[in-house]
Amino acid sequence: MHLIWEELRAAAPLIWHGDPYLVSVIWFTVQVALIATACAAVIGLPIGLAIALGRFRGRRALQIVANASLGLPPVLVGLVLFLAFSPQGPFGSLQLNVTRRSVFIAQTILALPYTVALSAAAVQALPSRLLDQARLFGAGRRQLSALALREARIGVMAALIAALGTTLSEVGAIVIVGGNVYGYDQTLASSALYEANAARYSAAIAVGIILAALILLLMGGVTLLQQRTGGIRLRFRTAT
Amino acid sequence: MSGAPSAEPLLRAERVTVPRGRRMVVRDVSLDVARGEIVALLGPNGAGKSTLLDALAGALPVAGGRIERHGRVAIALQSADLARRTVMANMVLALGWWGIPRSERTARAQAALEAIGAGHLGRRPAGTLSGGERRRVHLARAIAVQPDILLLDEPFAGLDPEARARLLEDSVSALRSQERATLVVVHDRAEAWALADRLLILIGGELVADGRPRELLESPPTATVARFLGYDGHLLDAGEWLLTRPPHVVLDPAGPLEATVVRAVALEDGFRLELKLATGRLFTVAALPAPGIGDTVRLRIAGGARFARSEARDEHEVMSV
Repeated sequence: MHLIWEELRAAAPLIWHGDPYLVSVIWFTVQVALIATACAAVIGLPIGLAIALGRFRGRRALQIVANASLGLPPVLVGLVLFLAFSPQGPFGSLQLNVTRRSVFIAQTILALPYTVALSAAAVQALPSRLLDQARLFGAGRRQLSALALREARIGVMAALIAALGTTLSEVGAIVIVGGNVYGYDQTLASSALYEANAARYSAAIAVGIILAALILLLMGGVTLLQQRTGGIRLRFRTAT
Repeated sequence: MSGAPSAEPLLRAERVTVPRGRRMVVRDVSLDVARGEIVALLGPNGAGKSTLLDALAGALPVAGGRIERHGRVAIALQSADLARRTVMANMVLALGWWGIPRSERTARAQAALEAIGAGHLGRRPAGTLSGGERRRVHLARAIAVQPDILLLDEPFAGLDPEARARLLEDSVSALRSQERATLVVVHDRAEAWALADRLLILIGGELVADGRPRELLESPPTATVARFLGYDGHLLDAGEWLLTRPPHVVLDPAGPLEATVVRAVALEDGFRLELKLATGRLFTVAALPAPGIGDTVRLRIAGGARFARSEARDEHEVMSV
């Protein structure tokens, strides 16, 4: 307990005096989190909608894969990407290993199961006759998708929050495919790991505290957005 | 059968059979609904009414037979789920799905809401509506798109008696259109009497009666239909079954028949009496002061429907009324 307290005391000045390295890591972390979550949303929400609304063969199998992918080991994702981007791999010509781009790609892949599986579940939880009625009034696929996303917005926002959390804190894939290069492609999470591996525990704790604060800030913002759009107020109104 | 008007049919089904899974829920049903006509489809729970309606709308495939639709079909499903928006936004959304130009949507939505007595609800969020208001908006949405054929699945389901009566009164005029063929599934006979020009009765997946409501009530074609329409008394008389409804059985000290009261259930303004006779069992409603259980009463029969003993599928069917 004494040791932790000492390290926390030593970490405080590092946070207050914020050197350029730390600022660049925070900025890169925010960039990775927002861009990877946005990419996972753009790719994942249509797939989630297709699972929930579609009537194609293999729909159930796709949902099983999406749900199973929620437990995808980040280290495995990092290894597969590393091999795929290595010179002998299928995407070797792209020369993506140990680049910032590979960090974006890895975090997008890890966030994707959340946007697919949780958005599909949110849409499936809607009253089925609401969507049936829209179909019977002649709603096309795009109109149905818009209706479903809007009606399931609380659950869809939860999917985005889960995706954002993954992109902020997952470290297993990016240290393999990105290399965890000091001052280049480190996020706060991989930076904390870097400092801990070097036995600089005060620095690791300082970075960890900043990461936790950033998570609180971003998640808090998105949760407020969820409550504003999602009808928490509407529920109160309905109950009275 | 009787009751079909001469106007052109917009919806016609010929010997339609509809499966649900492996079971044929609707069997060999033929019907038509003409322009300007409101037809009620009545039947007990599980008779296949909603399945038939879905098939008529084209939402369910048929296993046999043919369905002709002349014009666009709108169907209002039984559940009145609305999007979490205002009532007006829900209306405008549906009109958009239907393909109505943006400039016309609001006016058409408001006109339909007013027609069904919901003109004041436009700005209310759907989540704050009562069950009756929600049903009004659901109906208004179906009317607003102005389909050629309108199919309504139990539009008054789940309402308390007062809300149902009010909505029914407003629907009588709102649903009437000379341009439209309307088929409405109802669960309650009173709804059919109030709304429909013609009544179809579906029992066990088969269409067992088609006619004007009053005619069907006064002379039901079969004992099964009679029983479904509230003929709850039976009496073996001159080798035939005489089926009666409570108004047909009149307590009269000078009446030719004698019966014993075996059950008395209190009603708002009297008692419903179950009367045991030598050859049957009848029901009537007696004003206060009513005879009590065990009393002997005299009565006469003023109406009813007669069926040959062979016409009822078996005597148990009638006796179980």
